[in-house]
Amino acid sequence: MKIGLEIHVSLPTKSKLFCSCSNSATEPNSAICEVCMGLPGSKPVLNKGALTVAKRVAEALNMKINERTSFVRKVYFYPDLPKSYQITQLDEPIGTNGHLDIDGKQIHLRRIQLEEDPAKLVRGDDYTLIDFNRSGKPLVEIITEPDIASEDELRSFIAELRSILYYCDIEINEEMKTDLNISGIDSENGERVEVKNITGIAGLTGALRYEITRQSELARKGAKVERETRSYNEAEMRTVSMRKKESDEEYGLIYDADLTEYDLSKVKIEKPIIASRVAHEYASKYGFDPKILLELIMLSKESLLLIDASKGKYPAQAITAGIEYLKKYDKINISKDSFNSLLNLVEKKGMVNKETLEKIEKGEKVESYSGISDEELERTIESMINEKSILLNEYEKNKKVFNFIVGKVAKEKNLDPRYVSEKLNKVLSEKFGLV
Amino acid sequence: MSSINEFYSKEKKESYYETLVKELSSLNKELNAFSTINESINSGYPFSAKDNICVKGFESTASSRILAGYKPAFSATSINKLLSKDFGFLGKTVMDEFGFGSFGVNCETPARNPFNPEYVAGGSSSGAAVAASIMKYHLAIAESTGGSISTPAAFCGVVGFTPTYGTVSRYGLIDYANSLDKIGIISRYAEDIREAFSVIRGEDPLDSTSVGKVPEEKRKDKIIILKEAMEHAEEKVRSSFAGLIGKLENMGYRVEEKSFEPISKAVSIYYIISMAEASTNLAKYTGFKYGYQGEDFTKGYNAFFTEARNKFGEETKRRIILGTFVRGTSVKSKYYGKALRARALIIDGMNKLLGDGYILTPTMPITTPKFTEVKELTPLQSYASDILTIPPNLCGFPHISFPYDYVGGMPLGAQLVSSHFNDNAVIGFAEQWEKQFEYKFRYNLGSL
Repeated sequence: MKIGLEIHVSLPTKSKLFCSCSNSATEPNSAICEVCMGLPGSKPVLNKGALTVAKRVAEALNMKINERTSFVRKVYFYPDLPKSYQITQLDEPIGTNGHLDIDGKQIHLRRIQLEEDPAKLVRGDDYTLIDFNRSGKPLVEIITEPDIASEDELRSFIAELRSILYYCDIEINEEMKTDLNISGIDSENGERVEVKNITGIAGLTGALRYEITRQSELARKGAKVERETRSYNEAEMRTVSMRKKESDEEYGLIYDADLTEYDLSKVKIEKPIIASRVAHEYASKYGFDPKILLELIMLSKESLLLIDASKGKYPAQAITAGIEYLKKYDKINISKDSFNSLLNLVEKKGMVNKETLEKIEKGEKVESYSGISDEELERTIESMINEKSILLNEYEKNKKVFNFIVGKVAKEKNLDPRYVSEKLNKVLSEKFGLV
Repeated sequence: MSSINEFYSKEKKESYYETLVKELSSLNKELNAFSTINESINSGYPFSAKDNICVKGFESTASSRILAGYKPAFSATSINKLLSKDFGFLGKTVMDEFGFGSFGVNCETPARNPFNPEYVAGGSSSGAAVAASIMKYHLAIAESTGGSISTPAAFCGVVGFTPTYGTVSRYGLIDYANSLDKIGIISRYAEDIREAFSVIRGEDPLDSTSVGKVPEEKRKDKIIILKEAMEHAEEKVRSSFAGLIGKLENMGYRVEEKSFEPISKAVSIYYIISMAEASTNLAKYTGFKYGYQGEDFTKGYNAFFTEARNKFGEETKRRIILGTFVRGTSVKSKYYGKALRARALIIDGMNKLLGDGYILTPTMPITTPKFTEVKELTPLQSYASDILTIPPNLCGFPHISFPYDYVGGMPLGAQLVSSHFNDNAVIGFAEQWEKQFEYKFRYNLGSL
């Protein structure tokens, strides 16, 4: 099986690709102008910020970056396309010939190009509304070679791509649009099927699974897989035929002379961070499982700095818990020293809340906490249950009692409630025979 | 003293603009130069804008039915620059639809030649040339893609200046062919053009292809006549042009004939590129958001925009169809791709010639035709008449058409070309010419 992808992701620039309208407006049709509405007389002006982001992505994807880049017009008629052409790239895209490494395999990337998003169509029962806020938003399209050979590889590829883009400040989420090309599910009748405009990651794997089933079914029946373009219905989790494809679509692409050639070699970029590479590096440096580390650094961009700050003194679980606390209480920009204090607290299974975090942030000592041994904690819990045996009877009827005990002990001893509940479970089963 | 300075220095009656508008409206019934006359003009040196140049709040249709009612919410940069100086907006001038034509006849109410209304005004900036010809003090902001300034200027006996591509912002110009479109000026005198050009030129952050380079004035003493260009000119034009050459030699210019064979391919190259670009520029007209608006929303989108696109005129439809064809995947390298490469070769070759001196040709190979004669022309014959105006336009070279003779009561124009950014030299040449040649005009509206 050969799978190729054409992935479109939005770039997080302040303004749109060819005008100064906001790239993040929410109220429909509130960020529009003569350029993104395609009004006669208007002209596009390239947002150089988009060039910077796109070049950084190309670099991160191991692309050969073109010295000069230019734009073309792709002409087709659709109500979401105000100029009836989309400004995209052809002969001089941002980059070509890249690759991503997944599980020891290289997935080749044909090209990356910068282009504008069409407007958004909002379908009603018997009407369609158009939101031009989306018209002209910057996208990069990443086109792979048909190197992906299974659903697992597809998942690994998307995970790897997602981590790379994340460190280029690009989130891929439900907004991601993908065209999926599949051929050779039955190698005898290997016509290419294209599933267009799939939304999100779940949609992508859903569409692939449906196509594998559908095409295998056809093959079993001895029927031929026809060359066609299909679309994915997310609600029904199936693909439906859009058109049989006799030949490629005709877009009549020509150079867009409203724009010039842009010198990419002069565009300065920050060196991209390849998350998986960093994860492997740290994993061997500090002795962690690279998979866990990769998950960790996807929690937030600052994780990279923090993990390095902890210098392998703490186990991955403590770091995970630490970063999660920081995210929960919106303290991710904490100093390296404070982070180490936090990990110390986490490691000692101390209670972490807003109050303690604020203290840690200010460099103050977290008072009244000096750690406790497992045995000591277990004894405390046991004696508490013995003291209030009535609670134990209640326990069988009401789970709330469990939480009550946890809360009480955690508060009295300034402990992490998760740690207390773990020990409570142990005491209940070992000493009182309750499961 | 330029007409502009003369105008500012003269005392004007309070009713000056009112009278001008009244006289103009009356004459316009006969000549159709203006599609809109701004009746509320009350100050400044009067200027007009070709109908494909947006003026905020004024209908700007590029003389196309599909844009009927389109009143832009913004003005072209060149218009804003004039308005910020002491210039007053007098109205919009008629043109060939979207600039598609050499005679001004491809629109609903074609402008007529002020020397004789049986004759065409030339295109596509037909109304602009007529406006400059009939008013004592007027600046017509026009636009040229393949000769749309030179041709009507020559037919209407006025000076038409097309600057180096990119020196005047195209922002606010309703596109014909983006790599060829240039906003320029038609006026009675070159010295007015010099002044107006200094106002409207300059880099514009809203037009990526605009350049801020200050125009040069490298005067040449040599004039090159192209053998191939003269071969295309009809006899009447050739003999009259010979008289011009004699006069120029008397003025001290060295005149030399040279051959530049590739020029014969310029028309094909130009039409391929311009139609390809035009067909993409015109794709946006779907009767959806502005101009002509379809009303039957029960149809599918294809049927909806097809109905709207019926509003295009015949020549416009022809160029959309041909332009769409030449950029089609199966033939693109044969036509569009080849034309791009050939264009680069012609620019290179002409650049070398221009290093040596100016190139001078008759503006048109024919004398001004009558409406009845133009009707008889096939599209190909009509395109072929652009043979002399296309080369400088294809290359983006600055050029100026100026009147040099009157034959049978109709003016003849010659076109001088120079290298990129040597704009003020071609203007300077025409200034020198007009100091010793008396231009003729039939009307003098707004004289003081």
